[in-house]
Amino acid sequence: MTRRPSTARRILAIDPHSRGFGFVVLEGPDRLVDWGLRDARHGTDADLLAKVTDLVTLYRPSLLVAEDCTYRSSRRRQHGRRVIRKILALACTRGVRTRSVSAVTVRTKFAAQGATTKHAIAGLIVARFPELAPHRPRFRKPWMSEDERQAIFDAAALALTLSLKSPTSMGAHRSNHR
Amino acid sequence: MSQKLPNYLKTYRKRAGLSQADVAYLLGVRSGTKVSRYERFSRLPNLETALAFEALYHMPVADLFAGLADDTARATLRRARLLERRLLSRTKNPRLVRKLAALHELVAVGDEEVQYEPLPRP
Repeated sequence: MTRRPSTARRILAIDPHSRGFGFVVLEGPDRLVDWGLRDARHGTDADLLAKVTDLVTLYRPSLLVAEDCTYRSSRRRQHGRRVIRKILALACTRGVRTRSVSAVTVRTKFAAQGATTKHAIAGLIVARFPELAPHRPRFRKPWMSEDERQAIFDAAALALTLSLKSPTSMGAHRSNHR
Repeated sequence: MSQKLPNYLKTYRKRAGLSQADVAYLLGVRSGTKVSRYERFSRLPNLETALAFEALYHMPVADLFAGLADDTARATLRRARLLERRLLSRTKNPRLVRKLAALHELVAVGDEEVQYEPLPRP
C-alpha cells in the first residue's frame, strides 16, 4: 500500500483519415498506453463515431485531442473537418474535455527538435516510444499516397505537443472546457 | 475510483509484440477471447492467471493491475481505519495494544503514500 493514483492525465489523441482514424492514448509524456488504427472505410460517420465512443468508454480520457481544422492553414478536406467536428462534439457529450491543436503548432514544436517533416517527426516519436517502430511508414516519395499508419504518428504528435512542456507548446488552441 | 486504468495488460502485450492468441497459448487457455475480456476490463483473471501475466510481462501484478491495486489498497485502508477506531474504545490488553500498533502503522504508511513512478521502458 505504498502508491496513490498518478496525477498524470490520460490523453486520447485522434487523427482521422479517409478510411478511418489513428489514435494514441498517453498518460503523461512518457507512458504510451495504447495505439492503433480503426478502420471505417465501408461505414458511415456513425460507425466511425461508434469506434471513438468505444475508446472513450474504455480509457475514460481526461482530454481528447484532435487537429484544429479551423486554423487558416489547415489542409483538411470537407470529410476530415466534418469528422473532427463530430468527434469533438461526441467528446463534449461524454463529458471529456477537448483540445484542438493546429498542424502549425505541431510542426513548430517538433521543428525545435530538428524534425521538420512528418517522417522526421515519426522518427522522433519512435525514439521516444520504440514500440511504435513496426508501424512507422517508409519514406514517402512524391508519387506515393500517404500510408494510413501515418495517422498513428500524427495522433501521437498531437498528444505530445500538449504533453511536453516547452514554450513552443503554448500555441495550442483551446476549443472548450468542461 | 482510481485515475489509473484497472489494468495495463494490453499495453504490455502490445509492447512485447504479442497477439491475444499468443498470450492465450502462453496462459494455457483455449482462445484469445478471454485475453480480450481481461484487457477490456470486463473480466477479472484469477490469481493463477494474474501471476502468469506477471511472469509473462516481467512486471509486478500491482503494476499490471494498477487501478485495481489502488482501489483495493484504498478500500483496505478505509477498513483498517474503521477497525482501529472500533478497537480504541475497548479495554486495553497487551494483545490489543499490539494489534493497534500494527493498524496504526498500516494507516500511517497509507497516509504517506508515494506517487507512481513512470513505468520503466522494456
